[in-house]
Amino acid sequence: MFFNFSHLKKILIVLIFSCCSFNSFAKDDITFANFRDIRDLNPHLYSGEMWAQNMLYESLVHYNEDGTFSPWLAESWTISNDGKTYTFKLRKDVTFSDGVKFDAHSAKLNWDAVLSNKVRHTWLEMVRLITEVKAVDDYTLQVNLSEPYYPFMIEIAVTRPMRFISPNSMIDGETKNGVKSYIGTGPYVLGDHKKDQYAVFNANPTYWGAKPILKKVTMKVIADNQSRLMALEKGEIDLIYGKNMVDADSFERFSAMDKFQTLMSKPVSSRIVLMNTTRSQLSDVNVRQAIEHIISKKDISEGIFNNSEAPADTLMATNIPYANLSLKPYVYDTKLAETLLDKAGWVKVKGQDYRQKDGKPFEITLYYDSNTASQKTIAQYMQDEFEQVGLKLNIHGEEEQGYRDRQKAGDFDMVFDISWGTPYDPQSFLSGMKLPVYGDYMAQQGLKEKPQIDANISKALISTDEKERQDLFRYVLETLHNEAVYIPLTYERNRAIAVKSLKGIEFAPSQFDIPFEKMHF
Amino acid sequence: MLNYIIKRLTMMIPILFGISFIAFLLINLAPSDPAEVALRLNEIMPTPDAIESMRQELGLNKPFFERYFIWLYDVLHLDFGRSFIHRDRLVWDEMIRSLIPTLVLAMSSFAFTLIISLILGVLCAIFANSAFDHIVRIIIFLGTAMPSYWLGLLFIWLFANYLDLLPTNGYGSLQNLILPTLTLSFVYISTYIRFIRNNMLENMHNYSVFYARCRGLKEKTIIVKHVLVNSLHTTITALGMTIPQLIAGSFVVEYIFSWPGLGRLCIAAIMNRDYPVIQAYILIMAILFVVCNFIVDVIHQWLDPRLRDNGGAI
Repeated sequence: MFFNFSHLKKILIVLIFSCCSFNSFAKDDITFANFRDIRDLNPHLYSGEMWAQNMLYESLVHYNEDGTFSPWLAESWTISNDGKTYTFKLRKDVTFSDGVKFDAHSAKLNWDAVLSNKVRHTWLEMVRLITEVKAVDDYTLQVNLSEPYYPFMIEIAVTRPMRFISPNSMIDGETKNGVKSYIGTGPYVLGDHKKDQYAVFNANPTYWGAKPILKKVTMKVIADNQSRLMALEKGEIDLIYGKNMVDADSFERFSAMDKFQTLMSKPVSSRIVLMNTTRSQLSDVNVRQAIEHIISKKDISEGIFNNSEAPADTLMATNIPYANLSLKPYVYDTKLAETLLDKAGWVKVKGQDYRQKDGKPFEITLYYDSNTASQKTIAQYMQDEFEQVGLKLNIHGEEEQGYRDRQKAGDFDMVFDISWGTPYDPQSFLSGMKLPVYGDYMAQQGLKEKPQIDANISKALISTDEKERQDLFRYVLETLHNEAVYIPLTYERNRAIAVKSLKGIEFAPSQFDIPFEKMHF
Repeated sequence: MLNYIIKRLTMMIPILFGISFIAFLLINLAPSDPAEVALRLNEIMPTPDAIESMRQELGLNKPFFERYFIWLYDVLHLDFGRSFIHRDRLVWDEMIRSLIPTLVLAMSSFAFTLIISLILGVLCAIFANSAFDHIVRIIIFLGTAMPSYWLGLLFIWLFANYLDLLPTNGYGSLQNLILPTLTLSFVYISTYIRFIRNNMLENMHNYSVFYARCRGLKEKTIIVKHVLVNSLHTTITALGMTIPQLIAGSFVVEYIFSWPGLGRLCIAAIMNRDYPVIQAYILIMAILFVVCNFIVDVIHQWLDPRLRDNGGAI
C-alpha cells in the first residue's frame, strides 16, 4: 500500500508535538528601531547611544526613581561623617564578558582612566572633586573627595562616564583615545554590528545577576519617523521607544489599534520659556507674573502636543526629587493678568494698539530654534495670547548655533529651553544656573535674590544633611517660581509603541535607558 | 580626439581647484564656530578654555589661507580629516563605506531608468496620441509632480504594508533594493520617456526618414537605425548627467528606506554641523559632476563627428 495508515499516525503525532513545542516556547528575541547608529560605545566618552551603553556596562549603585540608591556592582557602601570619603564593598562574583575578574583593581583602572581626561567631564562637578581612587583590598574601593558633594552617588550611577569596561579593552590603560572592544559586565554583550544598519545584542551567558528573558535584542536603524511606524505596522519591528521617536498623531492612531499597545512615562524633563529679568520691560515681577497668567499650558498640551506632553504647573514636575513643594501654579486668567499689567504701569491708551508706559508701547521678542517645529507653533500661540491683553510679542526663529549663542550672551527677552531631564534634574540643572554658559544664568541676573540662589545651590550640593538640602532646594525653586523667571509649558514624556504580545515594558529612572532586561513575550 | 581629451583634462584642473576653494570658503562662512560645534557634539561644556584648546586641536587659530592650503594638501593625499562627531573616525573611510550602497542604488536606478524609459519612450512615439500614450503621459505627469518623500512612503504602504510583497526598509538583499530604486528612478523615467518620445517624433519628420521610406526600407529598420539612433544623441548627454544626479539626489530616498549611503551620511553631517564631512561631500560631488560631464562630452564627440573641430579625424 502506497500510503500506510501507521505512517500517517506518526506524521500526525510529530505534527502535534511540534505545535506543542512551538507554543510552550515563547519568542525570546526582539527587534526595535532607533533613529541612528549605536556609534562609539566607549563608556567613558559621550558619542554612543546611552541605552546601548546601559545594556553593556554597569555602575556601582542603582539610582531609583524616588532618589534612593540600591546595590549593583557594589554590595554595600559607607560614607564618612564629613561626606568626603566613600567606601564601596564590591561583589565578588562579577566578571567582564571576556572572563576578566571585576574587582577593586579593575574598578580603579577605569576611574583613573576617566579622571585622566578631566576636561571632557567638566559638566560633572564630581570629577573635579575626586582627589584619589584607592583599591583598599581586592574588593574594597575607596574614593576621596576634596569637599563633600551629595550628587556624587547620582553621578556615579548615571550611564556615563563612571561605568566599567574590561581592562583588556583599554589602550595603554586609557580610554580617552578610544577602546579596543566594548566589553562590560552587563546583562548583554554586543554581537554583530553593521554601521548605520543594525546592531545585535545577545544575552551575556556569564552574567552574574538574573539572566534577561530576551536572549537577543536587535536594533535596526530607521531614521525616518514614518518609515519606522510602517515597519512596526508590518511586523518587521516589535518596539519603538523614546521621547521624539513618534509624533503625537501617530501615537494616538496606534493606541486605537488592536494589535498594538502604547505607553507613556511620567514626566522626564520640562519644556520651558526663560524670561530675561534684566530687560527693562521684564524687570518688573508683576509683568512676568501677568505673562504667566496668559499662557494656557492645557491648550498647549492638548492643541499642540495632542496630550503626549503633560501641562506643566511648575519648573520641575512633582515626581522629580526635592520638587514636590505644593507651589501654587499660575492659572490661566487673563483678567488677573490685565490687573497685574495695570499695576505695573502698562496701561491701555485710546487709539493705541498696545499697552503703554511712559509713552512707550510694550514690545518684546521671543526667540526660538527654527529647526524645531513645536517651538514655532508654541511661539505663534503665545503671540496671539499676548495680543489679546494688549502686549506685542515678536517671534524670531534662528539657526541652532545662533540661538545658543544668544542664550549664552543673554541677548534675549524670552527664549525656549528644556531642562536636563531625569536623572540630572534637579541637581545638575540647578547647578548649571550658576554657570555663565547657560541662558538661565543670564536670565536670573535681574533678581535681587540671585546671589542667594547661587549660594544655596552650591550649599545644597555639598550638604550632608538631607533636611537642610531639602530646605535649600525649596528656597531656590520657590524663589524662581514666585519671581516668575520661567514659564513652565509642558513636561516631556518617554513613549513606547509595541506589539501587544510584548510584556514588561517599563520606563527607567533615567530617560535615556531602555530596560530590555525586564521585557518578555 | 586625443587633443580634445587632453584639452578638457587640463581645463578640469582650475575648475576643481576653484571648487575646492568654494567648498572650504562656504563652510567657513557658516555662522557656527566649528570649535564650539565640535565640543558640543562631544558633550563637552563650551567654556572659553575648552573652546580655545579645541581651536588649537582643529588648527582654527591659523590664518584662513594657511588653513585652506593645509586642508588642500591633506585632501590631495586623500585625508579629509576626522569627523567632529566621531573623533575616532576618518572622514575618508566614512565616505568610502557609504559610497558603495549609494553607487549600488544609483546604478540600479540608472539601469532601470534606461530600460523603462527606452521601451516606453519608443512605444509612446510609435503610438503617439493613442490611448496608451495618454495613459503613460498621465503617469509621467504624476511622476514629475510628486515629491520623492511622499512617493516613497506611498510605495512602502502599497508594496510592503498593503500587498505584503517587500520589506519596508533595510539594506543587503535584492528585495531591499526594489522600492528605493523604483522611488529614485520614477522622476527620471518620467523625464526621459517624454524626452525620447519628443525627440523621436521630431526625427520622424526629418527628410532622412522620408527618403528612407521612399527607399522602401522596413519600418522597423527606419525606427531603429534612423529615428532612434539619432534621437539618442541628445538623450545620452542628459542621461550621462543623471548619474551624478542620482548619487547626489538619493538622500531623501536613503533616509526613508534606511539605506546606509552617502546621502544619509551627509544629512546627519548637516544636522550636526559636522563640517569636515560636509566639506568632503561637497568636493566629492563636485568632482563627480565634472568627471561625468567630461565623459559624456567625450562620448558625444565620438558618436557625432560633426562636433569635432578637426573635421572628424580621430
